[in-house]
Amino acid sequence: MTALTDTGRATVRQELEGIVGQGGVLSDPDELLTYESDGLTLFRALADFVVFPQETTQVAAIVKLANRERLPFVARGAGTGLSGGCLPTEGGIVISLMRMNRVLEVDYENQIAVVQPGLVNLHLSWAVAPRGYYYAPDPSSQQACTIGGNIAENSGGPHTLKYGVTTNHVLGLEVVMPDGEVVWLGGRTRETPGYDLAGLFVGSEGTFGIATTIVVRILKKPQAVKTVLAVFDEADQASEAVSAVIARGLVPAAMEMIDHLTIQAVEDAFDCGYPRDAAAALLIELDGLAVGMVAQTERIVQACRESGAREVRTARDEPERQLLWKGRKSAFGAYGRVSPAYMVMDGVIPRTKLPYVLRRVNEIVAAHGLRVGNVFHAGDGNLHPNILYDPRKPGEEARVVEAGAEIMRVCAEVGGSISGEHGIGLEKADFMPFIFSAADLELMQRLKSAFNPFGLCNPGKVFPTKKSCVEVGPVAYKPHAIEEKGLAQRF
Amino acid sequence: MQPAILDKLRGLVGGAHALTGIELSSYVVEGRTPDVAVFPGSVDEVQSVVALAAETETPLVPWGGGTAATVGTPPARTGIVLGLARLDRLVEHEPGDLTATVQAGMTVERFQTALRKRGQWLSLDPSDADRATLGGVVAANASGPRRHLYGTVRDQLIGITVVTAEGALVRGGGKVVKNVAGYDLPKLFVGSYGTLGVIVELTVRLRPLPETERWMRVRFDHLKDAGVAVRAIMGADLIATAIELLDAEASRALGLEGTPTLLVAFDGLPEQVDWQCTELAAVTTPLGGPSVAPLPDAAVLRPEPAWMSARGLVAIMRFSVLPALVTELMEHGAGAARQRGLQAAWIAHAGVGVVTAALFSTSDRPELKTVAAVLAEWRSLARSGGGHATLEWAPLAVKAQTPVWEDLGAAGRVMQRIKAQLDPKGILNPGRFVAGI
Repeated sequence: MTALTDTGRATVRQELEGIVGQGGVLSDPDELLTYESDGLTLFRALADFVVFPQETTQVAAIVKLANRERLPFVARGAGTGLSGGCLPTEGGIVISLMRMNRVLEVDYENQIAVVQPGLVNLHLSWAVAPRGYYYAPDPSSQQACTIGGNIAENSGGPHTLKYGVTTNHVLGLEVVMPDGEVVWLGGRTRETPGYDLAGLFVGSEGTFGIATTIVVRILKKPQAVKTVLAVFDEADQASEAVSAVIARGLVPAAMEMIDHLTIQAVEDAFDCGYPRDAAAALLIELDGLAVGMVAQTERIVQACRESGAREVRTARDEPERQLLWKGRKSAFGAYGRVSPAYMVMDGVIPRTKLPYVLRRVNEIVAAHGLRVGNVFHAGDGNLHPNILYDPRKPGEEARVVEAGAEIMRVCAEVGGSISGEHGIGLEKADFMPFIFSAADLELMQRLKSAFNPFGLCNPGKVFPTKKSCVEVGPVAYKPHAIEEKGLAQRF
Repeated sequence: MQPAILDKLRGLVGGAHALTGIELSSYVVEGRTPDVAVFPGSVDEVQSVVALAAETETPLVPWGGGTAATVGTPPARTGIVLGLARLDRLVEHEPGDLTATVQAGMTVERFQTALRKRGQWLSLDPSDADRATLGGVVAANASGPRRHLYGTVRDQLIGITVVTAEGALVRGGGKVVKNVAGYDLPKLFVGSYGTLGVIVELTVRLRPLPETERWMRVRFDHLKDAGVAVRAIMGADLIATAIELLDAEASRALGLEGTPTLLVAFDGLPEQVDWQCTELAAVTTPLGGPSVAPLPDAAVLRPEPAWMSARGLVAIMRFSVLPALVTELMEHGAGAARQRGLQAAWIAHAGVGVVTAALFSTSDRPELKTVAAVLAEWRSLARSGGGHATLEWAPLAVKAQTPVWEDLGAAGRVMQRIKAQLDPKGILNPGRFVAGI
């Protein structure tokens, strides 16, 4: 990969404008700053160009230009990712898909939608809602994140417990391959002969190419929904209730845990009616047929009570249900009330290990002199410890990173994974050896070579940079450009 | 095969676990007899066998229950059949985690029996569960009627352990239900037909056993009406676990009356199943399907065994089309066969658009060109609606006229690159899969 000379830069800019038109290319360092990081502000990297194509042929032309110039390139959606996955670590071109944001077609008879990658996740559900349908994967950032970004990360969300993650809802993808060729992987039908290329592409974190058209399944909205809030005086009781519900043969649509610190923050900010003195609360949602809903809800209530719940509350109507969910969904924003900054971790464990791992998380964070709030997808064992800290205090951010690494080690030790939905990206590339052997990683590298032989497509992600390295350099805090200008806050 | 290689293989797995000569009759595929069939007793032994095959560039065919052995282009060469039958242990089942890890050679039936004892099941219902192994089910992407609600292998498989073409042991995915660390290797091996590695162990997500399940049978006079009913069921507040659409001929193969038939399954609490069965009748009655009755418990659900043993079977073709095009494919496809003096029988997982058709001839020596013409028309019917067709079973003479797999174009070239990366010497089940893989 070559560094661009000033004349080289001017020529490439001109060619990019030739492809996407004037107003579709950024190269002014001030403007590029907006794209130097994603939702995880720990990592930053400046691109040489940010380009905004409007159709597949433009994406293909940009990629071909990048290949000719040997410039790295990376696709970017809304930039809400939490692992640094869309950062241009080696400069080059950021290809923003935000102008390719249309729903191309909805086929209700076959229950599929064809969309562009820059479409905001929630906008798809809105588009099909009038006919009683929705798109199931619902990451917490669904008001901003894009379907294309969800494809890259194989995003989840609270309701994946019953309905699965992004990959379970994707049938086919039109992809601009790393060499600029346009290829369909999968299609509109449920099966395509040969290897499951669409399945392989989803979750490849932008290293296999750029999805430019996406075929997803849409689901009929369930006939009935019941939401239950169970309140516990001890965190262990809540963890045990999770297993107790599963043991009764129930698969709720969602089962979310909110711990004491998070309840405090949420109540300070939004007054959702969670009891402030509770050690933990479980938000459990059942959906499906109206028939049997009462009986199933009763089983949930029983399971929670037998695990020691002091109070189990069932939402009586939709506004009450929305209020209970508001506490869960706005938790991340609410941490701003109790801490200047926080870093969200993402790990997965077998759900039976929940009591042990939650205790370990609290111990580890305390040992680093920090505080942690837990709000997470308890039903599928997907932890999100949020470590609170003050970035202006020297050394705190480094301690957060260290604590995070230790938490990931615990997840790995109990047979879990180092990411449930945020991806490896830059953040966890060096943690990959926690759960994968050299042979495992070698096979993954070969797969990458099959798609991306020259490594120009999103370089520097997913794979460890040094052999079995666990060091994560302490990163000095510096305010993001838009923070400095007072346009945004870290939260 | 050189005697020295044979000796080494015997040394690796023990003489009793290396079959040759007449003992190989069960492992003959498309008329070709392998040189040897070996049955390693451990993952280590699998690795050694594969490493030897790699070193000597001997073709190697991973073998589970042999239930999908006839799928694919006839092989040009055969060498070692590597049977997983001795790797048949349930490694771990933690009911609280709704996951289980199992060795590849365990049969689906034994696995389900073990799970049922603890109130759970793997929500896959492939045919031949008594012989099909879990590794084979993954490799062949086998599924059954209940995929309508519960999905296929790709939706249940969360971890996989594979011996690579070089004999290395590789793990992908993990033991947790949600996991995005690294590339999704489990997906890569689903439906890979043994061409990328030997699956030795896998981890799946499970579901609690439903309290009740009931199959309902709805009879129609016209296939078209049954198709309309399928869409009405999908649009209603019903959560069917399976929606099978059979034409008159397929109904007969299941021992039912010879009319177009819908078989619809519901599960859950008894009150939920009762309500849905009543609602089903309310939906289908005005659409020409007033005859709604429970299917007897022991009813057969798949017609393939009856087809395979029937006289005159010349081909089985499998289609994936848009669900709304299923009845059209069935009607036009049956018409195409009739026009040329052949008979067809059709069954579909109607809600997901996966269709299987059998083609029969009453003549003892059917004209191969006629068979090829019907299959070509079937394929073009599927393609015209954006779908695909795979020739799932046919005698060699028919396969000589009709390609087993579609031409996959650019996607096929990506697959070739993956194959070249993972199996550079091309020893794993060579020449049988798509794109010449």
